[in-house]
Amino acid sequence: MSTEGNGNLIETFRAQLRDDPDVASAVAAIRALLGFLKQDRGETIQGLRSSLLAAIDTLSRVDSSVAVSSGGELFLRFISLTSLEYSDYSKCKEIMIERGEIFLRKVSLSRNKIAKLCHPFIRDGARILTHAYSRVVLRVLEAAVESKKRFSVYVTESQPDQAGQKMAKALRKLNIPVTVILDAAVGYIMEKVDLVLVGAEGVVESGGIINKIGTNQIAVCAKAQNKPFYVVAESFKFVRLFPLNQQDVPDKFKYKADTLKTSQNLTEEHPWIDYTSPSLITLLFTDLGVLTPSAVSDELIKLYL
Amino acid sequence: MPGAADRGSELSEQIEAFVARLRGGGERPRSEDTARQTLSLLRKIIAHGRWSRAGELMDLIRTEGQRMTAAQPSETTVGNMVRRVLKVIREEYGRLHGRSEESDQQESLHKLLTSGGLSEDFSTPYPPLRANVIEAINELLIELEGTTDNIAMQALEHIHSNEVIMTIGYSRTVEAFLKEAARKRKFQVIVAECAPFCQGHEMAVRLSKENIETTVMSDAAIFAVMSRVNKVIIGTKTILANGALIAVSGTHTLALAAKHHSTPLIVCAPMFKLSPQFPNEEDSFHKFVSPQEVLPFTEGEILAKINVHCPVFDYVPPELITLFISNIGGNAPSYIYRLMSELYHPDDYEL
Repeated sequence: MSTEGNGNLIETFRAQLRDDPDVASAVAAIRALLGFLKQDRGETIQGLRSSLLAAIDTLSRVDSSVAVSSGGELFLRFISLTSLEYSDYSKCKEIMIERGEIFLRKVSLSRNKIAKLCHPFIRDGARILTHAYSRVVLRVLEAAVESKKRFSVYVTESQPDQAGQKMAKALRKLNIPVTVILDAAVGYIMEKVDLVLVGAEGVVESGGIINKIGTNQIAVCAKAQNKPFYVVAESFKFVRLFPLNQQDVPDKFKYKADTLKTSQNLTEEHPWIDYTSPSLITLLFTDLGVLTPSAVSDELIKLYL
Repeated sequence: MPGAADRGSELSEQIEAFVARLRGGGERPRSEDTARQTLSLLRKIIAHGRWSRAGELMDLIRTEGQRMTAAQPSETTVGNMVRRVLKVIREEYGRLHGRSEESDQQESLHKLLTSGGLSEDFSTPYPPLRANVIEAINELLIELEGTTDNIAMQALEHIHSNEVIMTIGYSRTVEAFLKEAARKRKFQVIVAECAPFCQGHEMAVRLSKENIETTVMSDAAIFAVMSRVNKVIIGTKTILANGALIAVSGTHTLALAAKHHSTPLIVCAPMFKLSPQFPNEEDSFHKFVSPQEVLPFTEGEILAKINVHCPVFDYVPPELITLFISNIGGNAPSYIYRLMSELYHPDDYEL
């Protein structure tokens, strides 16, 4: 595959993220891949698949997060499913492009669907704890404000990039009383809190989640104090991983792409994400509905088998 | 046409009577009877109502359903039956429309990727739809008749000789379950009386008529006796979407005591009690009745100085439950989401 094609791909991806800071990175990846598909000059499904695999590899070298990986895999699965139905390549390609557009349209509605499902769980006078910066959680809290509920939010500062401060700023704009707390203060604040609401970068097959480092701690504290732990995530974040412990999460997700390229010894780097096991999660709110962690694996099986 | 107008007004009279009966409270109605009455009423609406397209029928059923559930929110069987009927209508329409049986109506990742367009709108009229839907509802009614027997048939697998079983209050499903097991096995039953209505007494009388060794005790003694109990078998009013229960007041205590002693907690409930709601607003499920049972009116002097409540139901979280036995077999609480997707369509969760 030509390097200029790859260059275009990376440029499209970066442009998406730049122009719309609210877009999820998986959606940007899928949009970039769809553009790549439109320009592809191949004549066979196999050729298309291999060039797509190369393209996804390129993208993950730019942004090695779980979300981009799950978006890429979903797109590949999408190609395989469509190619099974139509054997004629040009017709197949037309259908793929059409369905891709429909998929992107549906996916842009997913945050609103989730907000509609989740905000009834926030009662009037509730105190919510959240972690780092999540656009889905922001949307849910926005919906709760629109339905005239009063609540207050505690946000963890979320080192090393202080994402919690960004979240606090966005919440203050919505006139929600917010307090930023230290990551270490979660155990202290948990008794005051009514529920914990976090986003996810990836949802794994067991029903657990992969999210910014610190989420596992919060989940364990919440379980110890019997507080409900809710996760909000769009369905394109479902990923085909089954980690049994923190070690099982692949290194390429734990560290940023540049670190992976330049570092000598990965064990000296600090990971950016951790894995929260499904036994600590009460409910997951997705655009496919409200799911218990055991329902997640069912969804993934329906798609991939 | 006077005939149709007469039928129309008779129908709305029946609906009014049903709604009034629901709202009135009074006698605690049997869930199965409520379900049957709801289904018969819905069948009449479908048979005599004025509709020509599936979409209109679904709107009609939905409006009536909303009215009926608003009358008595704690009577969730009404809402469940309405949702079953809506799913039946969708299926029958799909069959007539020529869609393949296998195509999943549920949202799923798979459907997200492969669907070509937006959802259908149920607007094509099909004359045989009326008869098909009524036939399907008759099947539902037959299924309803057999639920208690189906559950009771599984009794022998779960109850063994010389076991001590504990239950609370009066559940007709559990009564049938235990009676069926008593025909072949010898075991003891401890019944918690379930204050303040003390329906445990009635349960104990009925069980002892079948020569089952029964003991009645007060709710306060549940924890004390639990160490001697092998299994706890209870009924419930509603099963929620996350596998939790809305059951008679006192059940949560029983469940916690059972968990503490690692005693299995088995819930016998038919599938029409499964409701697709989540326990987000706990107040909406609560039903309070006259506190006279708790503190009688004769204690007039203190009544002015205190607040007395008499809640009817309790919330039991899914972690405390071991097994659900229903007319379709035994299931774990974590599997409830799956049963729900087979019974109801996601668009109908909010009536």
